[in-house]
Amino acid sequence: MTPILELKNISKAFGPVKVLTGVDFDLRPGEVHALMGENGAGKSTMIRIAAGDHRAEEGEIRLDGKPRRFAGPREAQGEGIIVVHQELLLFPALSVAENVFLGHQPKTAAGLVDWGRMRREARDLLDRLDCPNLDVDQRVSRLSVADRQRVEIARALSRNARVLIMDEPTAALAEADVRRLLEVVRRLRSEGVAIVYVSHRMNEIFEIADRVTVLRDGVSVGTRPIAEVTEASLVSMMVGRDIHQLFPKEDIPRGEKRLELRGVSLAGVVEDISFDLHAGEILGIAGLVGSGRTELAQTIFGVTPATSGEILVDGKPQKIASVREAIDAGIAYVPEDRGSHGIIRAQPLRENVSMAILDRLTKFSVVDTGREQSLATDAIKRFSIRARDARQRVGQLSGGNQQKVVLAKWLATEPKILILDEPTRGVDVGAKTEIHRLMGELAKKGLAILMISSELPEVLGMSDRVLVMREGRLSAIVDRKDASPAAVGAAMMQGRREPARAGAAR
Amino acid sequence: MTAMTRILIRHEAILGILFVVVLIAMASQNDRFLTTANLLNQARLMTEVGLIAIPMTFVIVTGGIDLSVGSILGLCAILLGVFWQNLGLPLPAAIGLSLAAGTAAGFANGLIVTRFRVPPLIATLATLALYRGLAEGISQARSVRGYPDWFAVLGRGDFLGIPTQLWLFALVAALGIFILRFTTFGRTTYAIGNNEAAAEFSGLPVERTKLLIYTASGFISALAAIVFVSRVSTTRSDMGSGIELEVITAVVLGGTSIFGGRGMVIGTLIGLCLMQILQNGLSLSGVRGDGTTVVIGAVLIVAVLISNLLSRFSSD
Repeated sequence: MTPILELKNISKAFGPVKVLTGVDFDLRPGEVHALMGENGAGKSTMIRIAAGDHRAEEGEIRLDGKPRRFAGPREAQGEGIIVVHQELLLFPALSVAENVFLGHQPKTAAGLVDWGRMRREARDLLDRLDCPNLDVDQRVSRLSVADRQRVEIARALSRNARVLIMDEPTAALAEADVRRLLEVVRRLRSEGVAIVYVSHRMNEIFEIADRVTVLRDGVSVGTRPIAEVTEASLVSMMVGRDIHQLFPKEDIPRGEKRLELRGVSLAGVVEDISFDLHAGEILGIAGLVGSGRTELAQTIFGVTPATSGEILVDGKPQKIASVREAIDAGIAYVPEDRGSHGIIRAQPLRENVSMAILDRLTKFSVVDTGREQSLATDAIKRFSIRARDARQRVGQLSGGNQQKVVLAKWLATEPKILILDEPTRGVDVGAKTEIHRLMGELAKKGLAILMISSELPEVLGMSDRVLVMREGRLSAIVDRKDASPAAVGAAMMQGRREPARAGAAR
Repeated sequence: MTAMTRILIRHEAILGILFVVVLIAMASQNDRFLTTANLLNQARLMTEVGLIAIPMTFVIVTGGIDLSVGSILGLCAILLGVFWQNLGLPLPAAIGLSLAAGTAAGFANGLIVTRFRVPPLIATLATLALYRGLAEGISQARSVRGYPDWFAVLGRGDFLGIPTQLWLFALVAALGIFILRFTTFGRTTYAIGNNEAAAEFSGLPVERTKLLIYTASGFISALAAIVFVSRVSTTRSDMGSGIELEVITAVVLGGTSIFGGRGMVIGTLIGLCLMQILQNGLSLSGVRGDGTTVVIGAVLIVAVLISNLLSRFSSD
């Protein structure tokens, strides 16, 4: 069978940095071809070359067996090569239908937008994606992440996508939504669409992909049918070494009580939460998106102060009405949304790392740049952050390295309690293992860790106890020895309403 | 990329070069231009705009804007005259009260922006009208004259051979450079402009910083009013109207991003000087006022275009 899309011997460099060297890749109609690799391995660049965003310096692109050059993304789109980006590129103020047909609205004879046809066709596309509950007149800003993604896919289909490139489509989704997305992918495959599927999540790859290509440091390590690889062999292809244990969880004796919540509520969002957290303990929080996990974390951290209940730090009641007070109480929070709450992209690494302890790095309110610089270079070494130097802008780093910068920033505050909200979201396998190992190290040093994660294996693998949330309430606390996917999953789902609504209610 | 080229393609460097080019061009056009007397006089004339441009740089770096500075200037000028002449207060006391009034006006702007979360453009557009209206109401279209001689020293006198107000401007500018570049306050200002939510999540005092910046903007506008009144030795209610646009032009020409997060006081200073010598040089060469405005507009666009082009080249 001729491949729809073929990349042959592609090389690309940005200035002196070689990003891709002699990469081959081919995509057949009606297949899901997974693309894996650590962050910085060259996946995004490869996608951009295929989509006409970048031009390769060497090598050629073949479409249906014929060599083709794309002058820009528009030409590639014209050929039906569409990318669904990780950061969804939708217009929040416009309706679902308007977003789907933005740039190619159906027109009436008079040249005006044919609203009736546009809404009808948007409806058909969404039905094709199996989301009959999505209203085409709804504003996109009111949709959940999962629904926005469906809109983005509908937009791709409206342009007659033959090749759909999905860049980490499940990074921001909870388990139930992932299921539905995979269902959509299957459906598209059976319709003959060729899909490039970029993801770090192994179980999805094994469930959905027909073949997998692994990139490492800009070189293709190989393309294999999925039946010929195992999780372990993929990981070793990606990182170039074996990872014996995916979750390096160590047994650490439980220390004294660091944090205690007594009936903490945030009116209408989080209701009546009580638990305690000990030194050396990793307490996982599981729950679906919209179950109030992040809201709880931000309540403890003073972003949205609690409206009732008591928070005790080291046994003493602590008033936390602002982030500053939380930091002073020894609490640190690595946020879920790294881009908008964690880092400041436009500023250099060192200014990001020092941001939370700026007041401690000053003499008469003048920033001690010498100490700041050494703080940053230490962080680069300690967390093996791949950056040119401490002056590099954080926005230029890969996701995993950005996350390490955020971790470095919060560990610089020398916290007693560390809240990690999706610590490995959008992070490659190598960095993920490093972050897990780091969590173990920190717990061993006596840090009390509260970890929120949508990845059940991560929660089960890393936590001493698992706290399960559902609809803003605590639905169960499960000990490590009893924590099975079934037990935790059941506590997450019990008596839930229709999934799309719970997401939209956020 | 070497450190040298990185410095050279900075907006501030390009602007510096542009400044020198214009300086040479103007000097070759007219031999009255490049004289100490003329340059010092130009410096004197640009002080009011320059003073306000310093806090405005901070405001714009946070991603905000303060359109009310001209009205605050007008209001404070009127209040100075009213306190001194109509209420019979001693002039130093009138100056103090007028400064306090400007500070309060800035503080009010800050409160509206931070507490009530009104976008700065709307908030200060409203106070632009409000403060100017107050000024006109209080003045009843009468002007105040006859200030004592000692007061004129500030606006018309010299100290060590240099216009008195230029010393004041130098002090404010130096303070501005120092605060924005070296202190936690400056760092917080940039952080707010680049990503306000992340700054808040990092425990930085976002609200307090913004409040202080708008308050400082009001205070410096009042200071500029005192200098202005002293220079022209009269008080009218339309003083400083439209000055906000000159100030913003200088700041933006100086490389401060209108979207916030980027900019330096040095840039503002160069932008300011460039505007002033363009105005002066062109008028000495016989170009009419409206022609000068056209040239300044064109220079602004060219400078921003060059800078955008180069930053695209440097970021990849």
